[in-house]
Amino acid sequence: MHLKTALSYIRRSPFQAMAAVSVLSLTFFIATLLAVLIYASNQVLVHFETRPQVIAFLKDEATTEQITNLQRKLSGDERVGDISFVTKEEAFTIYKDATSDNPLLAELVSPSIFPASLEFSLKDLQYARQVVEEIKQEAIVESVGFTASIGGEDNLNDVVENLKTATLYIRIGGISLVAILTGASFLVLMVVIGLRITTRKNEIEILDLLGATGGFIRAPVVLEAIVYSIIGTLIGWIVALILLLYATPSIIGYFSPIPILPKNSLDFFLLLGLIFLAELIVGVLIALGGSLIAVSRARR
Amino acid sequence: MIKFENVSKSFGDIKAIDNVNFEIADGEFVFISGPSGAGKTTLLHLLLGEYHPSAGEVIFDETKVSQIPKKELPFFRRKIGVVFQDYRLLPERTVRENVEVALAVAGVSEEEWVKRADQVLKLVGILDRAQLFPSQLSGGEAQRVSLARALVTNPRVIFADEPTGNLDWETADAIMDLFHEINKEGKTVIIASHHKAIIDKMDKRVIELKKGELVHDSGHGKHKKR
Repeated sequence: MHLKTALSYIRRSPFQAMAAVSVLSLTFFIATLLAVLIYASNQVLVHFETRPQVIAFLKDEATTEQITNLQRKLSGDERVGDISFVTKEEAFTIYKDATSDNPLLAELVSPSIFPASLEFSLKDLQYARQVVEEIKQEAIVESVGFTASIGGEDNLNDVVENLKTATLYIRIGGISLVAILTGASFLVLMVVIGLRITTRKNEIEILDLLGATGGFIRAPVVLEAIVYSIIGTLIGWIVALILLLYATPSIIGYFSPIPILPKNSLDFFLLLGLIFLAELIVGVLIALGGSLIAVSRARR
Repeated sequence: MIKFENVSKSFGDIKAIDNVNFEIADGEFVFISGPSGAGKTTLLHLLLGEYHPSAGEVIFDETKVSQIPKKELPFFRRKIGVVFQDYRLLPERTVRENVEVALAVAGVSEEEWVKRADQVLKLVGILDRAQLFPSQLSGGEAQRVSLARALVTNPRVIFADEPTGNLDWETADAIMDLFHEINKEGKTVIIASHHKAIIDKMDKRVIELKKGELVHDSGHGKHKKR
């Protein structure tokens, strides 16, 4: 019965309803995009944090036994993550792949000029300098390097630090923007519900005299706000989803091989589904808060 | 039983009710008369617990109304059906819906609404207007709807505040007949009115107020047959 009453209130004031739904839709549209952006920036960070970061180039005279011993030593080191041994032939293959657009470059060299290496990641980049210094002291190690050098940074540590800073800014900026929009939505909802209560003041007085409880009077108003929130969330989310579905293939292609967005449809919809669920909860909380404050102010 | 015990009510310097004492027994038919501003409507508000007395107590069935917790007030108010001079109908709901809203407030299950609404609408003679909106009704019809809404939850007491104030003589008389019928079924009926001709014609107990003071009470059990 309360839902029926709430829906009839919405029908009677379509422009107020449209104002509330528009603001909520905009909020949740931007919130969805920002949530995906925060997820993507996190994926970039994870990608660089977990890829092999240190390469210990081995001397040509290093024996298999010495290499195995060093590999075992690194495996026992708690600071070190995954380790892999790259032979001279594998290094040559990597070189060939990297220069595939100019096959002449590969023809000019032989596998023997490439050093074998041990590639490994670190569990935390703060250990990088320490581990690199230690590994340099190993007799079979010729030199030590980092795998990445994006944007001219000297080492991966700088890359990751820059990414962490960027991710932090995205998070702070995104959360601030969503907080401002959420606040605006909250106020708009409060004003719309406040207007509705003002026009219903006579009805509320009558219901009061008939012996209606506070809950009975509040229920249609709160339900009306919840309906606005659900519709607003749904519209904002659907528009953002359509935009993402359209742009995702290009984004994935552009950032390949970094898995910036899930390639698998199921994972993609799971991510978006979780975002929708979180937005729905926030939306209902905004509706509850806004409408209850508006009702309590009106009945004071 | 309703008891006003040394009740006074002031709004700032203005004394709306001044040391009023009276009792109304179950099943009585009482007029509260007096000119405008005498304090008739204030008595209704005091009885409903909307106002608290500045002094004295309003007692309903041994319960001091001023001491009823705020959360319990809605349940207490359901014991009293109120009819207003300006009808106080919900303009965007039909006659039937206006009556049904009282049932919804009282928590009556929806299956019973049609039957109970039909019963009271028939009793007040307005069943054929059930699908109309208040703006489509005459004053007398609107007052009948207001009465039907007050009756539908079967309260023990009906308090009507100037129920004939906006009606012509003939319609007012018909409404009074309805109140009389309701009273005969055992309900306590309290009517605040300044309509002397109606009061005289009904020949019931009259509590007369003037400037907030009780100036005359024709007494208990002195109902006369019409």
